Amino acid sequence: MNETLVTLLKILLIYGGLINVAALMTLAERKVSAWIQFRIGPNRVGPWGLLQPLADGVKFIFKEEVVPEGANKFLFRIAPMLAAIPAMLTVAVIPFAGEIRIPELGTFDLPFFGPTELGGITTTLSITDLDISVLFILAVSGLSIYGIILGGWASNSKYSLLGSLRASAQMISYELTLMLSLLSIVVMTGSLDLREIALAQGTIGQWHIWTQPLAFVLFVIATFAETNRHPFDFAECEPELVGGFHTEYSSMKFALFFLGEYCAMTVMACLTTTFFIGGFSVPFWPDAPWFVQLPAFMVKTAFFLFLFIWVRWTLPRFRFDQLMGLSWKWFLNLALANLFLTGLASALGWF
Amino acid sequence: MVIVKRKELNWYERLYLPEIFRALSLTFRNMFKKNITRQYPEEPLPKTAVTRGQPRLLELEEGSLACVSCGLCEAACPAYAITIDGAETENFIEREPKRFEIDMLRCILCGFCEEACPKDAIFMSDELELAGFTRQGQVFGIDKLRRPRAALQKRIDYVYRINDRWRNSSSTQ
Repeated sequence: MNETLVTLLKILLIYGGLINVAALMTLAERKVSAWIQFRIGPNRVGPWGLLQPLADGVKFIFKEEVVPEGANKFLFRIAPMLAAIPAMLTVAVIPFAGEIRIPELGTFDLPFFGPTELGGITTTLSITDLDISVLFILAVSGLSIYGIILGGWASNSKYSLLGSLRASAQMISYELTLMLSLLSIVVMTGSLDLREIALAQGTIGQWHIWTQPLAFVLFVIATFAETNRHPFDFAECEPELVGGFHTEYSSMKFALFFLGEYCAMTVMACLTTTFFIGGFSVPFWPDAPWFVQLPAFMVKTAFFLFLFIWVRWTLPRFRFDQLMGLSWKWFLNLALANLFLTGLASALGWF
Repeated sequence: MVIVKRKELNWYERLYLPEIFRALSLTFRNMFKKNITRQYPEEPLPKTAVTRGQPRLLELEEGSLACVSCGLCEAACPAYAITIDGAETENFIEREPKRFEIDMLRCILCGFCEEACPKDAIFMSDELELAGFTRQGQVFGIDKLRRPRAALQKRIDYVYRINDRWRNSSSTQ
């Protein structure tokens, strides 16, 4: 009972946090883009425009929902959910902080459960700690492509179809690089558990960004492609495809696609943090308590989230053949070579 | 025919990463530069002597209009925005407009009425804002158009200065 309550509480906290971060990212995107272009950005709703995501949400809810004629109604409706849910699911295994000791709170008389002792257990700040959380994340995040493909196909529109075709080709190509660059970390750590990977980087010197710089660069670039962000946003590609796979979507369905995209970005930033810059470990303070580890994790993640926006407003979009060439001719080979060298070094017992 | 020879890139340039970092540093520095956004309703547009806003009628000190309803501005108006009905009065200036209407939705702020006016009675004010809920509401009558001399002084001085320049440089003088 106690465990269940704690897990429920963690689910509430972490999902609430994730949705809030995703909402704030839409604001941050507009703010940072404005600053880069010498503008001010949204500043009318709330202080510094902080309530802008709320206003956007209210607007989205009241918008008319248009289902195009000839669209496959069922798939059209289910596609935004398929795009958003996998991105949100992956956050379940990310370790946000180390162990938390919940103090004894005494016995309470709960409805349905009778008298229950609350508190007095040690837990970790992640919804669940899987042994194979890396595999789980890669498998589930790969599912989000179905939402984009189905959304594009079910809309009965050529722009949407082209957008989703591009997106699928791109995501499949870059998933290889993503996984292969992660595998070299897994080889080094000898574990598929994200928490152990984070714990293996207790000090700054142990961060995998120093031991695996190539994997870091490949992983970061692949996350941009995986989340359909600039300079690889071929799924949307406004000047060529109107809006890409979500051309025909309106109202909350459209918002759900974007929620999924921003959730995926947040998760990818969390993953980069965990894999390469020590996760929740605090620099120069190896056994920091959880309430220091959590902000440390958030600061590191915030940097990568900022990087997503920063790159978007800096680099122009690739051409599609360049994108494919980059993936298959360069990144895949580099990632394979990196994995091979890491395996060789591991077999020789260098680390 | 033009043959464009593309520059062969060396391996360092083909990496692209150094250039990407240069671009990123540029955008990052730009984030801290001064914003050029004007917060419009709170921060009004700059108004100078040459600002050519909506036309307004000059009201003399004794409270009557300088306009004698000659109809020259009506004739000069390229957008047919002005409608004038004249009438006789007991004042020293014996004519004044009974009806003087400018359809602000038609007005293109060209300033021809100001140039055409022989009595210096209509001037382009520095008022630029125009908003309303009906089209009828945007047809401004005398009550909405009359302005005291002080409100138009900047534009009046400017127009006199420009006209003087023309007079002084005229070959017929």
